[in-house]
Amino acid sequence: MSLLKLEKVTKRFGGLVAVNNVSLEISEGERLGIVGPNGSGKTTLFNLISGVHIPDEGRITFRGQDITRFPPYKRAPLGLGRTFQIPRPFASATVRENVAVGAMFGTLGKELSVNECLELADHYLDFMGLRAHADKQAGTLTPVEKKLLEIARALAMKPRLILMDEAMAGMHPKDIDKMVRLIQEVSDRENIAVVAMVEHIMRAVLGLAQRVVVLHQGAKLVDSSTKEALNDPRVVEVYLGHPPEE
Amino acid sequence: MGKRLSTYGPFIPVLALYVIIFLVGKGVQGMWQVMAMLTFYCALGQAFNIFLGMTGYVDFGYVAFLGVGTYGMALSITYLAHQGMTGPAVIIIGFLLALIFPALLSMAVGAVALRLRGAYFAIATIGVNEGFRYLIEGAKIWNGSEGMIFTSELNQVLGRDTASGLSTFWADVYLFIIAALAALVTLHFMRSRIGYALTALREDEDAAKVMGINVTKYKIIAFITSACFAGLVGGTSWALKTPYVFPPEVFEIHYTIEAIIIVLLGGAGTLMGPVIGALIYGLSKYYLSIILPGFQLLIFAPIIIVIIIAFPDGVMGVVKQRLRGTSLARFIE
Repeated sequence: MSLLKLEKVTKRFGGLVAVNNVSLEISEGERLGIVGPNGSGKTTLFNLISGVHIPDEGRITFRGQDITRFPPYKRAPLGLGRTFQIPRPFASATVRENVAVGAMFGTLGKELSVNECLELADHYLDFMGLRAHADKQAGTLTPVEKKLLEIARALAMKPRLILMDEAMAGMHPKDIDKMVRLIQEVSDRENIAVVAMVEHIMRAVLGLAQRVVVLHQGAKLVDSSTKEALNDPRVVEVYLGHPPEE
Repeated sequence: MGKRLSTYGPFIPVLALYVIIFLVGKGVQGMWQVMAMLTFYCALGQAFNIFLGMTGYVDFGYVAFLGVGTYGMALSITYLAHQGMTGPAVIIIGFLLALIFPALLSMAVGAVALRLRGAYFAIATIGVNEGFRYLIEGAKIWNGSEGMIFTSELNQVLGRDTASGLSTFWADVYLFIIAALAALVTLHFMRSRIGYALTALREDEDAAKVMGINVTKYKIIAFITSACFAGLVGGTSWALKTPYVFPPEVFEIHYTIEAIIIVLLGGAGTLMGPVIGALIYGLSKYYLSIILPGFQLLIFAPIIIVIIIAFPDGVMGVVKQRLRGTSLARFIE
């Protein structure tokens, strides 16, 4: 059975159809890249999955439960984590507390004491290489550290699926490779599915995703293995336009 | 023990400050009323901090909770005295009403206004206190604009000696206890998931939601708790200490402004901040009005501006950052 299932989901903003009749399935532990040029509907699709927007039509099921109309705070404890494109740490709290918040309100939230959550936070800070900064205010981290913190915070929720919103944008290629490696490792070890939204950092897509969905003007254009998708002439056309007439 | 200390350690310096204020009032000739005023500001700041400090939301109608708390105590004393009831039970019922009235009002205000964000919430709460005042005056509820004077009822309930001891001494002692309790509840929140949820939503409400935090629920928890303490402060300081209540006095927005200044001066969201803020505010207000009568506000405003510029996160906010990582940090929140 699939972990997350979107059935003919549509979202309109006034006359604009931002997401048009998209169906999509993701299985446990799978890593999917969502690719598309600016304005293709990636962010709206993410917001529909995480509950920021409610779809006008269609149905979203997560772990067999219909979550179409759930508010975001009810989706997270089911195992739906999310990171933001521009990291949004709780700036005045310490790095450790930021990650502990993830643990407290994630899938294990009700079973763990506050102290256990802080310990779990340290575990993920170790994993992301942020342990040395645990007592710093999150607002004082460098941009790359903030991105790592976002991921640590999402991991501490012990999610079944993480939505990564352009996690690699603006990063140095070396850092991208490191981050891809970390995400792969934790996704394999803890069987976490990853949906990464990527605009144009194909390096990240190639390393991370097993499957790619290409969106174009709100609709699904391609859904295939990463290699196939990136060689698909339709994808090239979406990004570069029509080849010149001979 | 080590764990206990790190959990409740920060309460020690706060309690120590309260004890010092109390001892100065008791020991130094003529200082009791000054210290009583400081205690009122401490209790007010500590109560408001639970909402303003921990959520970052500004409630301009906050004084309404003190007002209805005052009425709760006043009604209990007046009506139960007329029923012929006497003894401390009357005061205990008064305290219960001073909790229930603000709890109900905060639920009503919160259910509507807390769905709004930040500045919109602040705008929505402007006028809650004035509205309530005009409701009482216009609809002639609880004696309307004539207010309630219950000196004789209080004497009847407790006896003349106990009643005067209550007004001159014990009401202020209760205020100490209320302030300390509010500090303890604040610390308990800070150490539990409520505090983490409130910090998260104060910093970024959308990110908090996506991380599984039911932000409206936690805002309402903080709002009701803060309102209940405000009601106790009103019922104690404005009803037991001075046995009369007039609508224009207990719904005066001036007290909301004072509470905001105290919390921001001392450090919003810190445990000791409200005490420091109350000391700075109360002492400078008192001594400036003695040294420069009539000009106190002219001097006072620039002092506040200077402190806010020097300590943008409040005095304790800055102290807390400085001490982070040192052995003193476990005693400061």
